Amino acid sequence: MRRSTKEDKAMLGKSRGLNILPIALFLAFVTYAMPGLVGDASAKEAFAEQVFAEQAFAKEVMAEEEAAEGEGEPEIEWSQDVFYKDFEGNPLKGPVSGAPAPELGENDYNNYEFAPSRIILWIANQQHLYFGSFVLAVPIFCMLIEFVGIRTRDSDPVMSEKYDRLAHDLMKVSLTAYSWTAILGGVLLFTFITLFPGFFKYMATIFRPVMHVYALMFLAESGVLYVYYYGWDKMNDGGFLKWVHCSISVLLNLIGTVLMYLANSWATFMQAPGGIDEQGRFLGNIWHVIHSTLWNPVGIHRILGNIVFGGGIVGSYAAYHYLTARNDEERAHYDWVCYIAMFICIFGLIPLPFAGYWLMKEVYAFRQQMGITLMGGIMAWLFIIQAVMIGLLFFGANSYLHNSMSRVQGSQRYMKYCKYMVLLLIVCFTMWMTPHTIVMTPAELKEMGGAQHPIVGHFGVMSAKNTAVNLMITCTILCFLLYQRSNKKITVPWATVGNCWITAIFIGAACNIVFLGVYGYFLPANQRVGLSVPQVTSTLTTLFAGTAINISMFKDSESMGDIKWGTQSKVGTYAIFLLAISFTWLMGLMGYIRSAVRLFWHVTEVLRDNSVDAYTLTIGEAGKMLTFNTLFVWVQFVIVFWVASLTAKKGEAKAPDAVPVPAQQQQ
Amino acid sequence: MLPEQSDVLWTFLAITFSVFALYVFINVVLHCREREDVSTTFWGGVFGAFLVVMFIETSTMMGMIQSEQLSFFFSKMVLTVFILLLAWGVFFKSAGIEAQSPPIIRAFFWWTTISVLLAGYTNWLPQQRSDPPPKAAAIVGEITMEEYAEMGRVIIFGAKQVAGQKAIGKGQCPLCHTFEAGNNIGRCPNLFGIAERGGTRVKEERYMNEPVKVGEAEPATGVIKGSPQDIQEEYRRAGAGGHDGMIGEDYIRESMMCPTCYVVKGFGGAGDLKSPMPVINKPPISLSPIEVNAVIAYLQSFENPGDFSNVTVPLPSQDDGPTEEASGDDEEQPLFVTGSEPIEEMINKLGCPLCHTIPGIEGAVGELGPPLHEKTNAPNRIKDPRYKGKATNTKEYVRESILDPSAYVVMNEAENELFPDGLMPANFKNMLSVEAIDKIVDFISETEAKG
Repeated sequence: MRRSTKEDKAMLGKSRGLNILPIALFLAFVTYAMPGLVGDASAKEAFAEQVFAEQAFAKEVMAEEEAAEGEGEPEIEWSQDVFYKDFEGNPLKGPVSGAPAPELGENDYNNYEFAPSRIILWIANQQHLYFGSFVLAVPIFCMLIEFVGIRTRDSDPVMSEKYDRLAHDLMKVSLTAYSWTAILGGVLLFTFITLFPGFFKYMATIFRPVMHVYALMFLAESGVLYVYYYGWDKMNDGGFLKWVHCSISVLLNLIGTVLMYLANSWATFMQAPGGIDEQGRFLGNIWHVIHSTLWNPVGIHRILGNIVFGGGIVGSYAAYHYLTARNDEERAHYDWVCYIAMFICIFGLIPLPFAGYWLMKEVYAFRQQMGITLMGGIMAWLFIIQAVMIGLLFFGANSYLHNSMSRVQGSQRYMKYCKYMVLLLIVCFTMWMTPHTIVMTPAELKEMGGAQHPIVGHFGVMSAKNTAVNLMITCTILCFLLYQRSNKKITVPWATVGNCWITAIFIGAACNIVFLGVYGYFLPANQRVGLSVPQVTSTLTTLFAGTAINISMFKDSESMGDIKWGTQSKVGTYAIFLLAISFTWLMGLMGYIRSAVRLFWHVTEVLRDNSVDAYTLTIGEAGKMLTFNTLFVWVQFVIVFWVASLTAKKGEAKAPDAVPVPAQQQQ
Repeated sequence: MLPEQSDVLWTFLAITFSVFALYVFINVVLHCREREDVSTTFWGGVFGAFLVVMFIETSTMMGMIQSEQLSFFFSKMVLTVFILLLAWGVFFKSAGIEAQSPPIIRAFFWWTTISVLLAGYTNWLPQQRSDPPPKAAAIVGEITMEEYAEMGRVIIFGAKQVAGQKAIGKGQCPLCHTFEAGNNIGRCPNLFGIAERGGTRVKEERYMNEPVKVGEAEPATGVIKGSPQDIQEEYRRAGAGGHDGMIGEDYIRESMMCPTCYVVKGFGGAGDLKSPMPVINKPPISLSPIEVNAVIAYLQSFENPGDFSNVTVPLPSQDDGPTEEASGDDEEQPLFVTGSEPIEEMINKLGCPLCHTIPGIEGAVGELGPPLHEKTNAPNRIKDPRYKGKATNTKEYVRESILDPSAYVVMNEAENELFPDGLMPANFKNMLSVEAIDKIVDFISETEAKG
């Protein structure tokens, strides 16, 4: 055991880049998302509504004045918005600026013999979204990793170069995937135009300017991407140009985010439209159409989802190379890349359910029956499946962390707790996936004494499920904190107090979560929903307060030894594959749920789906499609990675000179 | 996918298995060429044969429809792949070439297994396909009040029900409302007793003033509260007057067309001033005047089945609404089988396969009720001491069982108890023409167990 040296402190300075940056980003996200999570659903619209209402009122007055001046009836027809409201809660009025939504007939739909049009469109859409998600996520990673590389250049040039090389390698893969995404986008567009011409015409009429801006932004994204990638070596002067290069990655991400938000607006408009009247006529304000009620939560949810998905893919990529590594150094390198990818993945995974809460809150605020169709109607079983998937993800994440601990010297102190955490996860997972009711024969019903089991039935309701999932997240956070301190001997004078605080925070949070869960059984449904907020707050407290105290305690800590990179167990490696495939499947599932909740509408309540495919699939049919989409996209990813590897020079296969040590373990 | 089409997942997996067989073949040949002591001819022949078999199986799969593909995939293709993997393992071990297969193959099977298990899990859960509701329920000929109230029930709960799932019809009411006496755990008020309660509620002080005053227009819908004579004309009650003349029917109609006109305490937002309920005559529900009245008829009569004396809405005439079959699937309409349909369509339309296994009807494998092997079973049942019905032969027994299901309840031999009485609807007499019931009786009387 050794005391922290000067070099270690230099490392500390370097490690701060990784330790603080995620937390800062997390806080920034929370600052952005929290108003939506806790505020009134319509509050976010307040300012915008004020402006829009004033504009609309002024236009209306002018039109009336014109009419009063003897020019006859106003030429402009005014109509009420289906979503936006003015100060008094009355529907906002706008000038009718488009044709009503058409009544689609047989001629508005085309089909092939081999598959229903809806299925073909689903596949085209999902494949494009998967790739889009990946190519949007990778630049975020590259930006972060390159930034950390720049910041560590002075303290540890070797590590700095490793970070830089990693970011560059990831961009190389992303570049191939980018072209692929564009091709899939073309396939999607043609599928849309050829199979659903009537629907596409309506959408194109409403979103005409947005579609052109989207195309132009795509050009900008391509240009910036090429400059960023091909200018990598040229701008790597270690000074000003490197900072400019890193700034280009920020620009790249900004453009990418705008692109995603523009495309999101089409989907969110279809689900919860705004800016049109009941007949589907455009009311002249394109921002209203874009900025419909689900636009922001879907955007945040997708950014986080992209990060997790991207982390899963990069993790799998590294895990595969880890399994095929030809020597120890290469194995150590890819083990480290696995760690970085999983770190980013879990970093995105933890807040993802909260973004989901926000999205569902907005769905309920838009139309309660849409929310209930999701949570208690025909889509309810899909949420049970989602629960199973989330359980799998947390199992995968914890399994990876547990297995990763075994290669850290000093982790034996905490490994003994792993079995209890696994036990807790199993109990919570079982509770989390217990359905409220299941299909039974009359004899079984009679034997059980009703549709719900007298004991197990209690675990099928929301109170139990919220409790279970919050405990699972809290357990994962605890596991991560233990992983962080695995090879550290805490030496700060207030170590006991700090440990007591961490223990108290976790026990307090667990008690609060369980208490509120039990209390929920004694409240009516509409009040019970409100308990999820303090439960989530308890979980977040463990995340923020627990992590902050934990990191603070690392000051002047003693290292119990280096991490043995390259010794990751196969179970841990396959846990990464499990995470990646589960998340791909889950992403498809949630996308299907979001889209299918429109039921028989192309645009909810405005443009009815009159095609033969307007039905909602059975769960089994949907499940098979999700599995197909998952496997199909992974086959493509393998091809893309292989294509990207063709450009690799032989020299690049050389193992790194030194084994990099991630920030969490550098002390 | 449609039943006559191939399944995308099984077809895709069949193709990937063929690619896998090709990969194995190339891998084996390359290994054999690298080493002199391993016979390229032998091993190449073995794995070439696998490749050929896999190609043949894949091309067979591509010519099948999805119901055939499932059994073929698991019984033939998975078996072939399993044997291929074993043979590959034998090749590696016998020649001391590799300790294990390449990681890409292990990752592929790991991913495929997880994904297919997930697909299997989704197929294990209850399956319910939801078809879009017809744009408006059609009236077929003159109907009785019982049939009209039944139409209301179907609008609320839907025609088909799947055990373990909430029954939800075009109106989507059960998403939030409950209907059983004393069941107050719903998100919205229990509707038991609403007909009577509505008539007295309109006189209450709270109704008079909150959230809008009687006589004022509710902003979101424009409906004038407590003024039935101002309701949209096609929905309006004949002879409706002002607030003083309001009856329960008016209250229910107003609640559907203007949910925020009155919000029951504890069930609204913004201090019980705003209802979360959608406007029922607007999208997405969009009930027509006939449908709104049908729902009211049901709500006024469901507490006392068979008693329609409290129903105040008039029966619709054919002039009131569409008389032709509505487009699309008609599952949400009150059922009526004319007898002109093919026998399979009649039986499927009536929903018999949901509970009964019926030889000769594809997909009729229900187990909630007894299997219909009446050619052999009916004569024995008539002789059963428990039988108290009037039938003397098979056809009479079948007819009686359809029209009066409780006349004789069949014993479930597997469970050693009676099948549940009351599960089978007792209103088939309202759904069948004379011709239809004759045809069905003739058909069912000839059914017997296969083999």
